[in-house]
Amino acid sequence: MAPYLFKRLGQSVLTVFLTISTVFVLIRMAPGDPAAAYAGPLATTEDLAKIRASFGLDRSVVEQYLLFLKGILTGDLGTSYSFRSPALDVVLERLPFTITLAVAAILITTVVSVPLGVWMARRADTTRELGANVVTIAGQSMPDFWSGIMLLTVFAVLIPVLPASGFATWGGLVLPALTVAILQIALISRLVRSEMAKNLTAPYLTVARSRGVSERALVWRYAMTNSSIPVVTALGTRFASMLNGVVVVEVVFAWPGVGSLVVRALETRDYPLIQATVLVTAALAVTVQLLVDLAYPLLDPRVRLGKKVSA
Amino acid sequence: MSTTHPGPARVQRSEPRPSAVTAKHLARAKVTRQRRGSKLKLWAGLVCTLIVVIPVALARVLPLPGPDQQDLASRRLAPFTDGHLFGTDQLGRDLLSRVLHGGQVSLLVGLLAVVVSGVIGVVLGAAAGYFGGWIDTVVSRLLEAQLSLPLLMMLLLVVALFGPSIPVITFVIAIAQWPEVARLTRSLVLVEREKPYVAAARVLGLHRFAILLRHVLPNVVKQASLVVLLLLAQAVLLESALSYLGAGPQRPFATWGRIISDGQDYITTSWWMVTLPGLVIVALVVGVNLLGDGLRDRARRRKASTS
Repeated sequence: MAPYLFKRLGQSVLTVFLTISTVFVLIRMAPGDPAAAYAGPLATTEDLAKIRASFGLDRSVVEQYLLFLKGILTGDLGTSYSFRSPALDVVLERLPFTITLAVAAILITTVVSVPLGVWMARRADTTRELGANVVTIAGQSMPDFWSGIMLLTVFAVLIPVLPASGFATWGGLVLPALTVAILQIALISRLVRSEMAKNLTAPYLTVARSRGVSERALVWRYAMTNSSIPVVTALGTRFASMLNGVVVVEVVFAWPGVGSLVVRALETRDYPLIQATVLVTAALAVTVQLLVDLAYPLLDPRVRLGKKVSA
Repeated sequence: MSTTHPGPARVQRSEPRPSAVTAKHLARAKVTRQRRGSKLKLWAGLVCTLIVVIPVALARVLPLPGPDQQDLASRRLAPFTDGHLFGTDQLGRDLLSRVLHGGQVSLLVGLLAVVVSGVIGVVLGAAAGYFGGWIDTVVSRLLEAQLSLPLLMMLLLVVALFGPSIPVITFVIAIAQWPEVARLTRSLVLVEREKPYVAAARVLGLHRFAILLRHVLPNVVKQASLVVLLLLAQAVLLESALSYLGAGPQRPFATWGRIISDGQDYITTSWWMVTLPGLVIVALVVGVNLLGDGLRDRARRRKASTS
């Protein structure tokens, strides 16, 4: 257990390090001058040079990189150019909104897609199941920005029951979370269906049924438990990727999370802010993945961490 | 009994004596239902896809106003007025024409991206599966690393870096998609590698590359190619998301995501500017997904019946 944990921790740190280093190099290769974006069109060459010096952009890239690494260790990720406050603070201020949205979306997804998937597996190859199947395909075929705008138009403009944007009340959470959930429900319920279909025809289930185990226990206790590892993995992966910012949906609903922050930071070439966002979200996503991996033995006692499952 | 149901009919033919199994039972059998389901999916998918693809392919031939032809006198006309089937936008441009011309770019990007990601994925996945060792380690680590990357963020970054041209966007989408192909190919090759014919080829003294290229890959490609349609659907969606965020190809014509983001400002007064282009995307992607799903069902059944 302990060596496994250290190995996985090492891998996670390495992943975050590689991600953040790639981003560091990429943004410095990009055309566009942060100083020019900051100073506006009327700045003179001397102004730009002065701004560049104050941002530390007059140093060599290697020097900037070393300073940046040192900053990570001391918790100082530089000052955001456009917010003029510490970049880390700006990100941490936005982070709760993204986490709220991700949690709401993953809750909706789980509550809808698990029963839906189980139902589809039990009614496999009936006309109604075919209908549900086609609906889930449609769900994964809609661009999220479009379904967001459609939901917004119907429930905020035509029938104004919910706020259209921002997060002033809890009602504002409904539409963005639903928009994110549509795609996830489609994907997860199909996964639940195929996993359950595999377990519902397994010999151990026939044995259990012949012993008189109730149908409900067969489905939820026997088959569901054995289907849970792939499903939980998928939910964890989806949740982790949502923490990286549901960029499109945040832009559609003017949601004050990290996704819309990143789009703005990219436009203004706000290097410290981009780096801080990527660092924080990548670290968070990797942590979620790690927690999911550590949860496997709880779901299936046959799993020993660090060893390959033979069954 | 008819010969159009080879599956159940074959059972009957082997037992020519009177049977309690009637045509009605056969029609209700699980196999028949599955077959009917996947056939329905295939046909519905084909219809949805062609409804979009044919007009897009013929965009230049159809009698439509140019996609950039402005007419400020007829701004934001509702659909079906003055011969504008989809209405016009805020500059009086014909929406249908814009959607079809933009669609050419979207489809081209999608197809190219699938080809590129398919080639990268098959090559790396096959190499990792067949040779194992350090190649496998490197490829598997790359696959894992990409899972934990903030994907859309990175894609936006790369587009900002190299500019929103068609080759860059194609490449970016291909990079986002190759892991799926690689993972599938790798797992298929791992199975194939252990089969007797590979050992036989090795005994005959064939080179490792020759075995992989001429014997293993042909047996794998057919199965791997089933994901192509699903990848195409994803590529179209990804391209539209990028262009919605302003990182899509700008030339020669605005693509679907951009048309929708342009129309978003007028959603309260002119519903069609967002709704109709969106429906076109949905029709195409649903169609392609249904086709891919139906084909996969069929392949899975065929495999089950031979094993």
